[in-house]
Amino acid sequence: MSEIYRKRGRVARHENGQTILVEEAGEAIEIGREFEARPLKETAELPPVDAGAVERVAREIGRIVKPNAIERLIVSEGVAEHEFNGVRWSESTRRIHLSIAHRDFRLLVDRGDFELGDIERAARALENVQAEREPPPRIRARPNVSAALLPSLPTIAPPNVELRQMAGGTDGKGAPVREEPITAPPWTNWYRPSYRVRPVRMPFNLRAHCEIKVIDADVPEAVAILAPVDGIVMRVLIADRGISYPATVRISRIDAVADEVTWYPYGAGAFGASMML
Amino acid sequence: MERLLTHGIARHRGRRIEASDEADSELIRICDQLMAAAREAAHAVGDARVRAVASARRAGAVVVTETTMTITMHHVSIVTSAEFAAGDAAILRDLVATETNMRYRKLPVVWRNGSAAVLLHEAIGHAAEHDAPPVGWPAWLRVTDEPSYPVDDCGGATRRSDLLRERPASLRRESFRDIPLQRMSTIVVRQEGASFSLPEERIEVHLVAGGNYDPLLDRVTVEIAVADLVARGRKKRLRPFTIHESRQEVARSLAGATGDPIRYPGVICSREGQEIAVGSHAPVMLTL
Repeated sequence: MSEIYRKRGRVARHENGQTILVEEAGEAIEIGREFEARPLKETAELPPVDAGAVERVAREIGRIVKPNAIERLIVSEGVAEHEFNGVRWSESTRRIHLSIAHRDFRLLVDRGDFELGDIERAARALENVQAEREPPPRIRARPNVSAALLPSLPTIAPPNVELRQMAGGTDGKGAPVREEPITAPPWTNWYRPSYRVRPVRMPFNLRAHCEIKVIDADVPEAVAILAPVDGIVMRVLIADRGISYPATVRISRIDAVADEVTWYPYGAGAFGASMML
Repeated sequence: MERLLTHGIARHRGRRIEASDEADSELIRICDQLMAAAREAAHAVGDARVRAVASARRAGAVVVTETTMTITMHHVSIVTSAEFAAGDAAILRDLVATETNMRYRKLPVVWRNGSAAVLLHEAIGHAAEHDAPPVGWPAWLRVTDEPSYPVDDCGGATRRSDLLRERPASLRRESFRDIPLQRMSTIVVRQEGASFSLPEERIEVHLVAGGNYDPLLDRVTVEIAVADLVARGRKKRLRPFTIHESRQEVARSLAGATGDPIRYPGVICSREGQEIAVGSHAPVMLTL
């Protein structure tokens, strides 16, 4: 049986001090183990994207992260129309990917919108960073930190939290993403970040639920990740009463998860929440 | 089987680039020809997983073509071209046929088959791209970037760059939808009067699986795919291992080199999410 996916997209991306506006349309045809992708010979009729907004956000990030140095900054805004075997849907996206450095330390922030609070908070902690320490016994992770951890959890099933896929959006094969518990692969939905790659099964919109929702505001706070999460090991920047330091945290249990969530572009999406570790 | 066609045009307007997937029928025709040759070469290789990429790009009036073939056997890959595919595949087939049974231990390393180009691609090439501060490289060492085409991906004339003193001069990009960056094209390592005697007990590196340079920590990582432990005149194949050193330590470890540069089956270099092929040539080299 053949599967045909088409995508028409427009994106403005600011990267390495330059802005690139890309318009393209393509299709992917999958027949059994055969996969073929190619451009569509047509012009995309899509709403405009605001390249000026992308550039303004990049400039603002440049201002707020000082005196730290920007290692990598990608800000983008895009619109796309998708079609899969007769099902059509559209989406608009905003993304920030930022790596900033101070001395020997690198900090990573990703956002699915142009809200800059995570970046400002992390940048202030980084500019005062001290030497690495052992992690404190209890930590509260900010939503941007817990979201980075979630894609590692589906196959680990940490005690006293339930992991769920939350409803929202359409997957790479035109199926609605519905709320369901995350138990074991194969996952229900397909993730297709580009028409040029084969879709893969992946859980969408991950969210951790815990009966205990109270976050102790007095314990040290992990404000950003310092490296991509490696399974259940996270290298994070911890802020504690006016000082900050790196620590490597091995997640053995999650004690509480707050109700308020923010969506982050980790994996096929993850809802970060304040979390007690 | 996977097939992918992609084409487009990028137009530079001040600090903005406007890119779209418009087709250039002449470039598509050239790619079709290159791909036909690559397919033929892939069929001749036979017992391997082969990924072939043919590209044709036009900057101004100049058309630059390139074919890269990644050949994988037993999880070990080489990057080559249609011209060299058969010979490089035979070398790879021979190298992966030996069972690995020894663990790495710290010994002098002889970098054979041009593999030192990968070490210095990371330690000198990427460091130059990031304007890393100078370290004390041996006086006998020469490392240059030597593009094989007359214009770069922005239409600028290419030239040889001395990577011990400057960045690569050429702007390169993976596709029309990418930002051009100053990147290496073909790294060539040469030596002048650096001959050495082979240590009796040593490691001989034949193939490298990958590498990385971290500009923040100024550290180099090289993953060795195929290497032998040589002791008392006998060779035993080592399990894959990783070398992880500061750039200063890499510079200090260079103890000698001999002969002319040898073509290493190339490197797919990834930076800022853009993968490009980089040619690699180096003499046999010794690190202690």
